[in-house]
Amino acid sequence: MRFFRSHAALLFLLPALAGILIFIIYPIAYSFHISFFDWDMISGKKTFVGFGRYEHLLGDPKFIQVIVNTVVYMFSMVAVTVALALFLAAWLNKSSLVHNLAQTAIFTPHIVSTISVVLLWMWVMNPDIGLLNYVMEKMGVDRLLALFGIKKMMWLESRTTALFSFIVIGVWKTLGYNTLVLLAGMQSIPGQIYEGAALDKASSLRKFYKITVPLLSPSLFFLLIVNVTSSFQTFESVNVISKGGPLNSTNMMVHWIYQTGFEFYRISDSSVGSVLLLLIIGLATYSNFRLLSNKVHYQ
Amino acid sequence: MKKLVCSLGLLVACLLFFAACDNSRDPAPAAGSTGSTTTPAAPAASPSAATPAAGAARPFEITFWTALTGKNAEALQELVDKYNSSQDKIRVQAVSQGNYWENGTKLQAALVSDTYPVMTMLEVSQVGEFGLRGALADLAPYFTAVERARFVDGLVKQGVMDGKFVAVPYNRSTPILFYNKDMLRAAGLDESGPKTWDELRSFSQKISDPPRNIYGFECPVDIWFIQAGIFQQNGSVFTSDMRRTAFQLEAGVKLVAFWQDMVKEGSMKAPLGQDYNSWDVAMDDLVTQKVAMIFSSTADLTGLIEATDGHFALAAAFLPAGEKRASPTGGAFLTVFDKSSDEQKAAAVDFIKFLTRADNDAQFSKATGYLPVVKDALDEPVLKELYARHPQYQVAYDQLQYTQDIPPIVGFREMSIIIQEELKAAMVDTSVTPRQALDNAARQVQNLIK
Repeated sequence: MRFFRSHAALLFLLPALAGILIFIIYPIAYSFHISFFDWDMISGKKTFVGFGRYEHLLGDPKFIQVIVNTVVYMFSMVAVTVALALFLAAWLNKSSLVHNLAQTAIFTPHIVSTISVVLLWMWVMNPDIGLLNYVMEKMGVDRLLALFGIKKMMWLESRTTALFSFIVIGVWKTLGYNTLVLLAGMQSIPGQIYEGAALDKASSLRKFYKITVPLLSPSLFFLLIVNVTSSFQTFESVNVISKGGPLNSTNMMVHWIYQTGFEFYRISDSSVGSVLLLLIIGLATYSNFRLLSNKVHYQ
Repeated sequence: MKKLVCSLGLLVACLLFFAACDNSRDPAPAAGSTGSTTTPAAPAASPSAATPAAGAARPFEITFWTALTGKNAEALQELVDKYNSSQDKIRVQAVSQGNYWENGTKLQAALVSDTYPVMTMLEVSQVGEFGLRGALADLAPYFTAVERARFVDGLVKQGVMDGKFVAVPYNRSTPILFYNKDMLRAAGLDESGPKTWDELRSFSQKISDPPRNIYGFECPVDIWFIQAGIFQQNGSVFTSDMRRTAFQLEAGVKLVAFWQDMVKEGSMKAPLGQDYNSWDVAMDDLVTQKVAMIFSSTADLTGLIEATDGHFALAAAFLPAGEKRASPTGGAFLTVFDKSSDEQKAAAVDFIKFLTRADNDAQFSKATGYLPVVKDALDEPVLKELYARHPQYQVAYDQLQYTQDIPPIVGFREMSIIIQEELKAAMVDTSVTPRQALDNAARQVQNLIK
């Protein structure tokens, strides 16, 4: 009975824990296991190679490029979406018809499924018949570009601009969600604080930096963690638009893992990629907590 | 106590219900079966199969994973049903696993966990991946020389590797030249289409009008057309021992230079988009009359005929010849896993023989647009009538005498993506020389050859 009383909580948690163990912890552990083998699942040949596959992959410039792509994408996404969302939220933090409409418009992309967003943007960015190049031509931007020797923006079709185009699409898609989270955070900041600052004749810029941003820090921190993780896990857009091309310039970790393991039948390499991705995300999250958690204000 | 009795009662009721459900899965007795369990070459020869009255014996079940969806999956299911009701010894359960790659993913996991199906459909490159690794059963002992000779030569070649007959051609396709006869006529060109590379280029130059966004020729930068072009110039993709790349040599340079020159002079449009997206772009451009000639698969023929019907005269021709004619093949094969038991293998082969019977193959070919895989299917009235109405189908079939394919090699899909990507980049940025693009690709592909 005493045992039951002291371990009751564990008992009640057991069903949920079992789920986590079977569907999350076990597969992660098994990925580690596979990554130390050279395993051909089709023929069934399995040989222990230790860190052999790690060495092989980390010496492969194409794989390094995939990691670099992923990190560049992640940094740009987080920096741009969080910064933009902060300013948009500050602007939207009023109640009028215009603001409500703008809020809806900004949030809409978040509801639309990624596949639809991606198909839409593939048309928008089509070099020949796309909206973007058409608008740029009408506005005369193409003549400006011609000064720099760019004949036509190829967007997703050129290795130099493809990753940038992915970032544009990603920002458009996630901005609404980030804005909404920050907006909710702003609206929960008590009005008296601003009133007090107003009595002290603080400028609105000063109020923003001294009151809004510090009190928003829990929301900002949350967005940082969520955005870092989700950017690392980008898959659908790569799979639908580019399959990693042109020339590997938009290949990112999760898509590479999928392609290598399931399309090229190199399951060991794919597991090495998964393990490295896990380590990178873990490291990023850990350093976020380490560097920033003492700067976050909780009321 | 009362509660306990209630819940126990409920449990028993549930169990009984599920047991009843399971019973209902017993197949209905096959009425009037003609039976062809072991000797499909002589259909009416085994009347024993047609005696359901004897019957409490459960049919032998085999699972068949397919990679077809929509209309094509329905056409196949129709034949599966026909087979199941034609005899009561074997029952085939066809399960669609999505597309070729999804099916491949699941097969890989199924082989490891011993939950693999007896037989599956595999795309050409997958036949190499699974076959060269020894996962596929050698079907040679199950087919007589006469039975094997029925298969169309150009379609059956890739199913043989290391001397073993591991894959039976089924839903196969090949690329042909599709063109808009009206646009050719308007430009005063030969309506039977270009016969050679030079004609393709001169035709395109006459038709193209880049300022109006009209082009003579368009083709996806796909491994299919890359290998076709190289073979047509008497080159090869790999050396004959499959140990070294050979596509970067003279024939490859000729091909890339030819495409690049056409793109530069504005007579060819390199379609944008990755992978199959670029195929859709080319077909769209043909249908909307922005492009007069494209290369595409025979599998698209039915759709293109429907889309262009009443708008313009759609015609088909052989791929234009370089030094010689050559055309690749694609699509999928039927395969049996080597780990299956002998009884399962025999049952699977029986079903495969049923599917490739002339009448059934003709029926499937007509419903899907895939090529007929056995020669005698062409004598079937359904195909005769179809070919008379749409001679484009006949063109595709006749071209099969010129097929030439890359022998199976482990890692082919990854290699082909590398080649496509490098050559495509050379089409988008024509300042990259053919040699640079090909050498870049060759270096990476060579690293993948095991």
